[in-house]
Amino acid sequence: MSSLEVKDLHVTINGSHILQGVNFFVPENKVTALLGRNGVGKSTTLKAIMGLNPGTGTIKFGGTEIVAMPTHKIVQMGLGYVPEDREIFASLTVKENLALAERDEKPNYELVYSLFPELLTRTGQRAGTLSGGQQQMVAIARALLNKNKILLIDEPTKGLAPKLVTEVANALAHVADHSTMLIVEQNLALVKAIAQNIIVMDQGKVVFEGGPENLQDDSFVKSMLGVSGGHK
Amino acid sequence: MSTFLLILITGLGLGALYFLVASGLSLIYGLMGVLNFAHGAFLTIGAFTGLWVSTKVFPNPTTWTFIAAMIAGGITAGLFALLMEQLVINRLYNRHIDQALVTVGVSLVATALLGGWFGFDARFLPTPLWFMKAVTIGDAIIPIDRFIYIGVSAILLIAMLSILKFTRIGLIIRAGVENRSMVTALGINVRMAFSTVFFIGGFAAGVGGVLISVFSYGVSPLMGGSWLIYGFIVVVVGGMGSVAGSAIAAMLIGVTNQFANYYVPGLGDFVVVIILAAVLLTKPSGLLGKVSH
Amino acid sequence: MLRWKYSRPLLIAITVIFAILPFAGDNPLSKAGLQQTMAVAFLFGALALTYDLLFGFTGLLSFGHALYFASGIYVTAILINDFNWHFLLAILGAVIFTAFLAVLTGSAALRTTGITFAMVTLAFGQAGHVVIARDFGDFTNGDDGLPVNADRLPDFFIGVVNTKYLYLLALGILVFIYFAAWWITESSAGRVFAALRDNEQRVSVLGLNPNRFKLLSFVLSAAMAALIGAAMLIVSGSASPRYASADITIALLLMVILGGPVTRWGAVLGGIVYSVLSTRLNVLSEGSAFDSLPSFIGGPLSEPAFTLGLIFILIVMFAPGGISGAYYRARFKYLNKGK
Ligand SMILES: Nc1ncnc2c1ncn2[C@@H]1O[C@H](COP(=O)(O)OP(=O)(O)O)[C@@H](O)[C@H]1O
Ligand SMILES: [Mg+2]
Repeated sequence: MSSLEVKDLHVTINGSHILQGVNFFVPENKVTALLGRNGVGKSTTLKAIMGLNPGTGTIKFGGTEIVAMPTHKIVQMGLGYVPEDREIFASLTVKENLALAERDEKPNYELVYSLFPELLTRTGQRAGTLSGGQQQMVAIARALLNKNKILLIDEPTKGLAPKLVTEVANALAHVADHSTMLIVEQNLALVKAIAQNIIVMDQGKVVFEGGPENLQDDSFVKSMLGVSGGHK
Repeated sequence: MSTFLLILITGLGLGALYFLVASGLSLIYGLMGVLNFAHGAFLTIGAFTGLWVSTKVFPNPTTWTFIAAMIAGGITAGLFALLMEQLVINRLYNRHIDQALVTVGVSLVATALLGGWFGFDARFLPTPLWFMKAVTIGDAIIPIDRFIYIGVSAILLIAMLSILKFTRIGLIIRAGVENRSMVTALGINVRMAFSTVFFIGGFAAGVGGVLISVFSYGVSPLMGGSWLIYGFIVVVVGGMGSVAGSAIAAMLIGVTNQFANYYVPGLGDFVVVIILAAVLLTKPSGLLGKVSH
Repeated sequence: MLRWKYSRPLLIAITVIFAILPFAGDNPLSKAGLQQTMAVAFLFGALALTYDLLFGFTGLLSFGHALYFASGIYVTAILINDFNWHFLLAILGAVIFTAFLAVLTGSAALRTTGITFAMVTLAFGQAGHVVIARDFGDFTNGDDGLPVNADRLPDFFIGVVNTKYLYLLALGILVFIYFAAWWITESSAGRVFAALRDNEQRVSVLGLNPNRFKLLSFVLSAAMAALIGAAMLIVSGSASPRYASADITIALLLMVILGGPVTRWGAVLGGIVYSVLSTRLNVLSEGSAFDSLPSFIGGPLSEPAFTLGLIFILIVMFAPGGISGAYYRARFKYLNKGK
């Protein structure tokens, strides 16, 4: 059981009511993309699921209510999280960053290093001195090291050079084949390639749930996401 | 030249004592964002425990009994720190100002308790006789106690850095200083790390308390207060959350203090606070600062 | 409205009663001892209010407020003793000097925020303490303190029989500071202070420079602290380095937390209660109040800091908002019961 159900989720930060009753469902073994313009509350939604900012409402993971649980317990249930700004530990080495993320008896280093062979050559380097793409690899690797039931990934290709976008996208596509995933992503080509469902948010609420075929429709994309062209 | 060496080593000795107070403050603040005003009380509790060991448990001071006094002082202060963390700090989770305020209360209560039990007059902590000797380096005659402060601090510095570097809890602490919420987002319960830094910080302060009793010729409930302020200064100059930064800043401040005092008696303390203001105004994160709470 | 409609008349009545009692025949307040205690307590009440202006109203956690209080005390004393100034002129001089000192130190410290700000102000406060305690300029008489030259003060402030006038002076200062704080916090600048505390961005968005207002709050509370310091000099008869120590600032913080921040009367009450408790508990302990207790309990109980520290911990943990917070909570419950 690894489906995720969010019902009437509200989040208030410093007096601003940022999520105003978010509802959606992430089915098992499928990739769901969470879309929307900048600042509509996608990252806040992911953080609320992870218990990183306190929300009210219902969040059921595999049937268990996780809304008031401490973050580490949520993670231990099998939720892997790749945050928006990577949030790797700059002063620790790559190896230490990965070691810190180990939860399983046998962390899957083969998978991580086969997806990102580059990291293997940099295990002793301080993560803060890595390039943006390499940092993103570390961030994703931390989530892939353990057998997670669901992955929450926030804008993994943000700010990456095109070549790295491809590399990260390939890695995600590989992982997407056999896992439950909720991904926030602006790159619609990537979304179309891996997602089976899409959810669109606007101003703290979900305004659309459906299939990725809608992204073929330019006017839909324009009105929902405020960007032109699903043809990248 | 001999005067220079004497002042330098005296300054390093003073810096070593500052370091014992500051290292824990720095880790606690770095990891938890708690400005710990009870740290002076940890020091005092360590000193009183050391006094008890050196007078009641082993009335004839030897090198070994003094080591026992330091370890006992460290452990008692560490346990007190742990107790405070469990009983009050944890209940105010993430309310940083309230946490700082409650440590002010703990400090008052602990100081008053000790004052009520033992009075406020300074008591002499007996030491092995060789502590009073001096060594000659070139033509400089240097009291031996300086080297004890430096040696003990160096041992604790190495121990702390080793824990941080080579253990899993150390890894969690280092990561937590940088970004605590991301540590929890990797499925790690950071409370264990909180308890660890409080124990380590309390331990170092407790050992410091015993040594400071030797340095300032006495144990008194009020001794923690002024050392706490210099502890803060060292932490801020060195950078919150960095043990190595604390060590460097402690030495810098100890040596500067002694040299300034040599030229104008009393000027040392003044120069130190001016250094603090200058560092903060030019580099608010301190010399090796990692956190910006 | 949470405010009780008779609260102002009540406050005025209490003040008038306190002003009359020393002159109204035989009662506890007709004794010089209690008058002296209360005079000091009134001044600490006022000083706590100036601290509340910074900490509670503007959200600036300063650990150096004692510097400005001490500056008021010492500059007044020095101007009277060494420069032969008339005492009123000396007080004015001390307030102006302190305001300048606050502009200087405040604008440096306000380049930082949060805990760093607390540390910079602590550093300035400590620097002041060192200057006073070590007597660098040969002005302050170091650790021994500096008695004010009594000849230069009006006769009615001198001698035990005249303690009631010191008491009145302190009460007058408290009332004055209370009105000043009231005026400041209710003024448009005061509203900006509150906005700064809650959300600094909102103030910047309005096109106001947050630091200008923080500095204003800093300087105003420093100048008021200096005035209170000058009164403290007259009431206690001498300046002492302990007025400049960080302990005083921490005590102010305790007072404000005890009484409850941002309510004005809370800070004043906290200051008065704290000050009276610490003097009275001292007196109790010198008597035989705790002799019947076993010494491991009686010893600590005779230390005011023990009781105060314990109360303080309990308030922070279980009753945030202190005395005034508890009052408003109770009143809120009461007002909502009818509905
Ligand atoms: N810590 C915070 N304090 C105040 N506002 C915040 C905070 N975090 C996010 N916000 C606001 O919440 C809204 C949603 O942010 P976010 O979830 O990051 O949007 P998205 O990820 O969809 O771009 C934005 O308007 C942002 O300004
Ligand atoms: Mg986002």
